[in-house]
Amino acid sequence: MKLLTSFSFICIFITSLFVSFSAVSADEEQAKLLLERLSQSLRQLNFNTSFVVVKNNQAEPYHWLHGLAENKTAEQGDNNKYVELEILALLNGPRRDILRINNIVSYNEPEYAPYSIDSSQISGPIPAVFSQDISILEENYHLVLVGKNRVLGRAAQLVRIVPKDSHRFGYWLWLDQQSGLLLKLAIITRKGNLLEQIQFTHLDITDTVSENLSQLQTTELPKVIDVATQQKTTELAWQVNWLPTGFKPIKSDRHRISTNKQAVEFMLFNDGLVDISVYVNPSNEKNRPLEFGNDGATLVLSQVVNNIEVSVVGKIPLETAKEIANSVSFNTKVTSP
Amino acid sequence: MSESKFETISSIVDNYRVPEQESEQTIDEMLKDENLANTWENYHLIGDVMRNEVPAALQLDLSAQIASAIADEPTVLAPNTSNNNAATGFKAKVIQLIKPAGQFAIAASAAGLMIIGVQQNTADTNEVIMPSQIVQTKPLGGFANPVSFNYQQNTKSQQQAELEQRIEQQRRFQALLSDHEQQIKLSEVRKTDKKESLTEMDKELEKSQ
Repeated sequence: MKLLTSFSFICIFITSLFVSFSAVSADEEQAKLLLERLSQSLRQLNFNTSFVVVKNNQAEPYHWLHGLAENKTAEQGDNNKYVELEILALLNGPRRDILRINNIVSYNEPEYAPYSIDSSQISGPIPAVFSQDISILEENYHLVLVGKNRVLGRAAQLVRIVPKDSHRFGYWLWLDQQSGLLLKLAIITRKGNLLEQIQFTHLDITDTVSENLSQLQTTELPKVIDVATQQKTTELAWQVNWLPTGFKPIKSDRHRISTNKQAVEFMLFNDGLVDISVYVNPSNEKNRPLEFGNDGATLVLSQVVNNIEVSVVGKIPLETAKEIANSVSFNTKVTSP
Repeated sequence: MSESKFETISSIVDNYRVPEQESEQTIDEMLKDENLANTWENYHLIGDVMRNEVPAALQLDLSAQIASAIADEPTVLAPNTSNNNAATGFKAKVIQLIKPAGQFAIAASAAGLMIIGVQQNTADTNEVIMPSQIVQTKPLGGFANPVSFNYQQNTKSQQQAELEQRIEQQRRFQALLSDHEQQIKLSEVRKTDKKESLTEMDKELEKSQ
């Protein structure tokens, strides 16, 4: 009798395992579809929305507009019948506006004279990948459909982007069931601690492009600076020997940090969702123990070993950043003068 | 119109984060006050001139210059320690001299840097301080008073040094953070082979309509 019950328990366990397994893969498929819909909606809908970035006990309010306007200057036979227009503006403090007309993105920030770059995406608080090809996420993250929820007074689907290893953070997205747009975004540690969140506070979807955006269409944007040709990958005399799998080098160069004029050697890595910067520069100090600070989910870490400062910046856990910093090695050829 | 108002304006223009209430109040007053408004304008002008003079931040073709600047500094990977000592010694004197006026500046910039909560391995320093405090509680006869007096002064300057160190650290972190964001912006340059993406989208739209 006892044997029978335990046997049936095992049976139930196995079947439940199967059920949950198939359910997971079905959910993963569903979650992917929702993210693809988000990417499409972000590119095609006319929306006027506001959101607040909540981090470090502070709230930063933004206004975000996007739309497709008819291309008035299109010539006969021109394929570009529509112009994609986008505005992202920080509403508190000094003006920080990002404007986009098709593939020209203009940054208007207090630190620099306005400039434009040739890019199809705005770099703001919302990861750019969400409006691009999201299949790139699957390499390093599981996409999990969790359930329904009410956000911003709307029916929302919760999709979790769960890292496949313990070296990154998870992203939770609440997506509008009606439009597919983002209603809320949270960055969560593996233990479930909330580090940073973006809460939308207002969302309008319209058939036609809003007034502000059509004005943008006729605005002359600042001159495009040619980053691409200058973004040659510079050979540096050091390497990062360890990174979580899936992080690919984007660029490496020497530049000066604009705020403190420090000359640095620099490498940038990306895993499809997250960027990691690694800085190496000389230091006046012989050794300085590891220090770090957080800006929401973004970690800044630095240490000095033998008069060389190594710093790591990115939305990654402390352990990951530590390991990256410690894995930097120098070509012996250069260290001996 | 006190000195602090000019300072607040300066902070706002320089994009340091000023407590909201204070900045709103100052901006309101400024709008009413011609003198302050002029200050606002002048500060912006100064900023603009400085920015025009130093377009280094934007002109990325300076990379060659930067490379040569770095090349001129053999300190990149093999710093000259004796020079560095001289430099830090000099700096320390300067800090001493400008202290009274400098403290305002430190406070103002610290306000802008509070975004980052810095953690540090302070365990070691605590351990160093703790035994000294225990020593202090067991005064040695007549020497107790002057010793403890001196000691307190020490801790005060120690605290001051620690504060300056922390502010310096926050500045460094803030600089790294904003550079990180800047580099991401500049890295998201479109590859030329992606040019068709929009026209494809146009076609999709055509179909759906």
